[in-house]
Amino acid sequence: MIAVIPVRDGVAPTGADETICEASGQALLIGSGTSQALENLGQVARQVWLVEANIDATCVVAAVNLIGHSDESLILPATPDGRDLAPHLAHALGRTLYAGAISISDNKVSVSLHGGLSIADYSPLAPFIATLQIGIRGVDTISGTPTVASVDIAPITNTAQTSVISLAVLPPDASTMDLSEAPRIIGGGAGLESGERFVQLQNVATALDASMGVTRVITDRGWADHERQIGTTGVIVAPDLYIAFGISGAVQHTSGLGQPEHIISVNTDAHCPMMQMADLAIVADANAVLEQLAQLMHVESQVGAA
Amino acid sequence: MTIAVCLKWINASGQTDIDDDRFMGFSYADQAALEYALRIAENTNDEVIVVTAGPVGAEAVLRDAIARGAQRAVRIDIDRSHDSAVIAQAIAQVVAHCSLIWCGDYSSDRGSGSVPAFIAAELSFAQALGLVEIQVPADSLHPIRALRRLDGGRREQLEIRGQAVISVEGSTARLRRASLKGSMAANKQAIDIVTVNQVATETPPTRAYRPRARAVAAPVGNSALDRVRQITDTSSSKGHGETVHLEPREAAELIVSKLREWGYQS
Amino acid sequence: MTDTDIIVVGAGPAGSCAAIAAAKAGKRVVLIERGPFPGSKNMYGGVIYPRILDELIPDWFEHAPIQRWIVRRSTMLLSDTGALNIDYRSNAWGQAPYNGATAYRPDFDNWLAQQAVAAGAELICSTTVTGLLRDAQGRINGITTDRPDGDLTASVVIACDGVNSFIAKDAGLYKAVDASNYTLGVKETLSLPKNVIDERFGVRDNQGVDIEILGGTSGVNGGGFIYTNLDTIALGVVLKLPKLSAQKKRPEEIIAELKRHPAIAPLIEGAEVIEYSAHLIPEAGLDMMPKMVADGLLVAGDAAALCLAAGIWLEGVNFAMASGMYAGQSAVQAITAGNTTASGLQSYTKKLNETFVLKDHKKLRKIPHLVLSDRVQHKYPGFVTGIMERMFRVENPHPKPGVRRILREERKKAGISLMDLVRDALTGLKGFG
Ligand SMILES: Cc1cc2nc3c(=O)[nH]c(=O)nc-3n(C[C@H](O)[C@H](O)[C@H](O)COP(=O)(O)OP(=O)(O)OC[C@H]3O[C@@H](n4cnc5c(N)ncnc54)[C@H](O)[C@@H]3O)c2cc1C
Ligand SMILES: Cc1cc2nc3c(=O)[nH]c(=O)nc-3n(C[C@H](O)[C@H](O)[C@H](O)COP(=O)(O)OP(=O)(O)OC[C@H]3O[C@@H](n4cnc5c(N)ncnc54)[C@H](O)[C@@H]3O)c2cc1C
Ligand SMILES: Nc1ncnc2c1ncn2[C@@H]1O[C@H](COP(=O)(O)O)[C@@H](O)[C@H]1O
Repeated sequence: MIAVIPVRDGVAPTGADETICEASGQALLIGSGTSQALENLGQVARQVWLVEANIDATCVVAAVNLIGHSDESLILPATPDGRDLAPHLAHALGRTLYAGAISISDNKVSVSLHGGLSIADYSPLAPFIATLQIGIRGVDTISGTPTVASVDIAPITNTAQTSVISLAVLPPDASTMDLSEAPRIIGGGAGLESGERFVQLQNVATALDASMGVTRVITDRGWADHERQIGTTGVIVAPDLYIAFGISGAVQHTSGLGQPEHIISVNTDAHCPMMQMADLAIVADANAVLEQLAQLMHVESQVGAA
Repeated sequence: MTIAVCLKWINASGQTDIDDDRFMGFSYADQAALEYALRIAENTNDEVIVVTAGPVGAEAVLRDAIARGAQRAVRIDIDRSHDSAVIAQAIAQVVAHCSLIWCGDYSSDRGSGSVPAFIAAELSFAQALGLVEIQVPADSLHPIRALRRLDGGRREQLEIRGQAVISVEGSTARLRRASLKGSMAANKQAIDIVTVNQVATETPPTRAYRPRARAVAAPVGNSALDRVRQITDTSSSKGHGETVHLEPREAAELIVSKLREWGYQS
Repeated sequence: MTDTDIIVVGAGPAGSCAAIAAAKAGKRVVLIERGPFPGSKNMYGGVIYPRILDELIPDWFEHAPIQRWIVRRSTMLLSDTGALNIDYRSNAWGQAPYNGATAYRPDFDNWLAQQAVAAGAELICSTTVTGLLRDAQGRINGITTDRPDGDLTASVVIACDGVNSFIAKDAGLYKAVDASNYTLGVKETLSLPKNVIDERFGVRDNQGVDIEILGGTSGVNGGGFIYTNLDTIALGVVLKLPKLSAQKKRPEEIIAELKRHPAIAPLIEGAEVIEYSAHLIPEAGLDMMPKMVADGLLVAGDAAALCLAAGIWLEGVNFAMASGMYAGQSAVQAITAGNTTASGLQSYTKKLNETFVLKDHKKLRKIPHLVLSDRVQHKYPGFVTGIMERMFRVENPHPKPGVRRILREERKKAGISLMDLVRDALTGLKGFG
């Protein structure tokens, strides 16, 4: 297996290190500023190929052929860039794509289904393409320095489409930074019943000197901004304290959660993953508990006031 | 020109995984895609065609979309359990003539987010995926400006000025309500049905989710004892916490007292 | 030209039957429901007597989504510690032509509405009717909804929007409505494995049980019920509104107390609550019924307060289905005859008067008041179970007391005068007989 890591301006995507570990240290970095990206990756690779080229399937295929590894499976981090590139690779090479895998080896790929409720185990018979969900595997560093080779692929006649143009990459803005660096986060999920609850949650968070985070179900409903979404397709956070109200603890959410020192979970289902992870698991109606907490913290309640 | 929207028929309740027509619908992400397609078509006088790949029951989402303003509907008669590449290939045949192909960023059941990119690959279209903000142009002469989510909180600014596959996140737009007359007309609308050759796909064994063991870095330290401590130190590894059943008031009080005990509150 | 011939508001049992009847007669029918699908938000105790469907859907029992067929009906009288159970079983009810059945409303209502669609009616869900349209003469000729471009005109509107009908009120058909005419129904759905239910209730396969309860409602006037579904039990109470607020008891507490009663607890032991719901019931029967016909408008089902709630009976769905069907038929007749004014629609009231729909109500007119009266509620259960307690208790070496003595003593203990007893017995006899 080879990890294919798309690099933008010297920055490798989150989870590049995990993906390289999953591929036992073989990595092909493609994009711009690949050597700079390598420096920031940590001790995870044994053998690295650097390709300064467009991040597209044609270039990856050319590079893989050039280094003589055309029969190996290719795995990518399941980040936006990995998600976008992987299907094109599968299409170009006529291979099966396993998207959103939680573990990958040459003869077994486990993919999470239904928002992380179940796992399907595939047994591939031929080289494949897969994307690895980030934050689940963890990283085991290796000793020694990797062998690094630069690969010059022959200039490819530009077949790239010009109808979508990248104007700029914007750095993380204050609100997302706010969450990703917050030491205390209070999270709310589908167990909270209305949009107003999230106003209340925000107020309680403020009173506890914490930031508010939510699950994707909540951003999908438009009850909170994207910047508040914790998880693989949201913000990756690393708080000391996490209090979860009505959150089931799907992988896509918890894999963005880091390793909080203390977790409190309030949920009606004593057996959901979030409750299993918690230091203090309270079986109760999250709405009512939040209401009471708001009163204890002297936070004004807008919910159901009418 | 024609704008296509790909709508996947899914269990919208999120509660059960049995296919029960009563609880089926389309995801927030697909709803947002439809809303943008309709908004753009209003300004450019394009036709909107909605496409689903699924069984007869899936026609309900097509009628729903027609009621809200789409002009034409196509159902591709295919089992939804096919893998994304097969689904995308089938959809691509139907939407090849379209200027824009709108999708949701992830479907909530399979959740691979790969169908849109497969469609783009199939048709050699450009793609703009995972959009979180979209400016609808005033007419067909102006490009679409959009913001795409990258990892680590970064965003990419894009301009879309030609044929492309676009996917959007669920909360970017609220789908309009259908007019009453629209709903009534939609019930009578004819739906085109496209059949495709079905290939058998492997159905893998499935099991309940269990997180995999996390890898940790090899311990560093001068003495063997230090290294052993690093990987076995119980103070940092988490034991199983306590589970309590409480009335709301008591629960809130317990939370506050725990926060004090742990030093987050004075 | 109107948009359609008939608009039916509400796809509950009444609305769907109205739509089936009208669509079968070839009229254009639009059936409008506010929920995402018919029955999605509808609740009730759990037993349907669907024989009235014979006329509209002859083979209904082969297709209707039924949980269990009722083969046992019990009436239970509860005092604090005792219970008197009158139990009747008929295995014949477990076969066609059947008697009653338990069913889930989201299943049953949805199925019934799909029958209307199959008959040619147009079903529009997720749409709330917000008002009535009137023509220059003030006759009702359509509705407004919460949808964009949401007005719809028709020759006849049939209001089947359930208890507290907003449409019937809007049309001025109700007299001032008094809270004491309503009871509050509260129900828990409890899950238990099928074999446990079979064993505890003495049934097998798809046989089911219907238990009505008098007493056991913590001093709030009302009653209770227990019905068996395949792998759930419906347990609920029906509570008189003014008493409920006066006693400052919460319905949940009353259900919880009922569940702890020694005669009930063993039936539901180990069951998990999977649903809790509450709904108003128009209890007062004839005394609260509105006018059911206006120019261009018919009212059916709970919207017309046609629910029959009288102690050992809690029937609404059959009354709703019947009145809906008759309303649909009358609307068709009126449209065909070209007169949709109130007089043109009078065949509806006539039909209701001729059939069980109003005959039962007239017969049982006094029963709801009797059943919910303080005496019946607070004194009789103790009185009757007291008698039973002493009749069946063996206190040797004392000889058995005479029945007359027991009666007299228990009546005194319960504080019931002989006059009252005779009066209630007569009301009961007249009503039920
Ligand atoms: C490709 C992909 C990417 C994704 N990325 C993300 C991501 O980045 N971030 C993310 O969060 N999700 C993400 N998801 C979605 C994820 O899989 C889950 O669906 C989501 O995290 C679930 O959110 P939830 O816990 O709020 O809702 P649910 O899973 O519906 O859980 C609700 C919880 O509330 C409890 N509850 C219900 N009522 C009450 C009550 N009254 N009181 C207390 N508790 C109650 C329930 O028991 C349940 O545990 C992604 C999914 C896919 C497919
Ligand atoms: C606790 C309880 C237990 C009961 N037990 C039984 C029993 O065991 N057996 C029995 O036969 N009966 C029982 N009943 C009575 C029975 O439920 C009703 O009599 C019956 O449902 C009446 O049917 P309906 O069609 O008139 O009204 P409903 O079933 O109330 O249907 C009205 C429909 O109209 C829709 N609607 C309302 N307003 C609007 C609007 N503005 N626009 C669009 N749609 C609208 C509603 O969503 C609903 O679908 C019970 C009732 C209760 C509360
Ligand atoms: N069977 C299908 N029919 C129509 N559109 C689909 C289908 N499957 C996926 N899509 C589209 O592709 C998007 C992403 O789905 P997925 O790749 O399955 O996560 C969805 O939001 C839809 O817009």
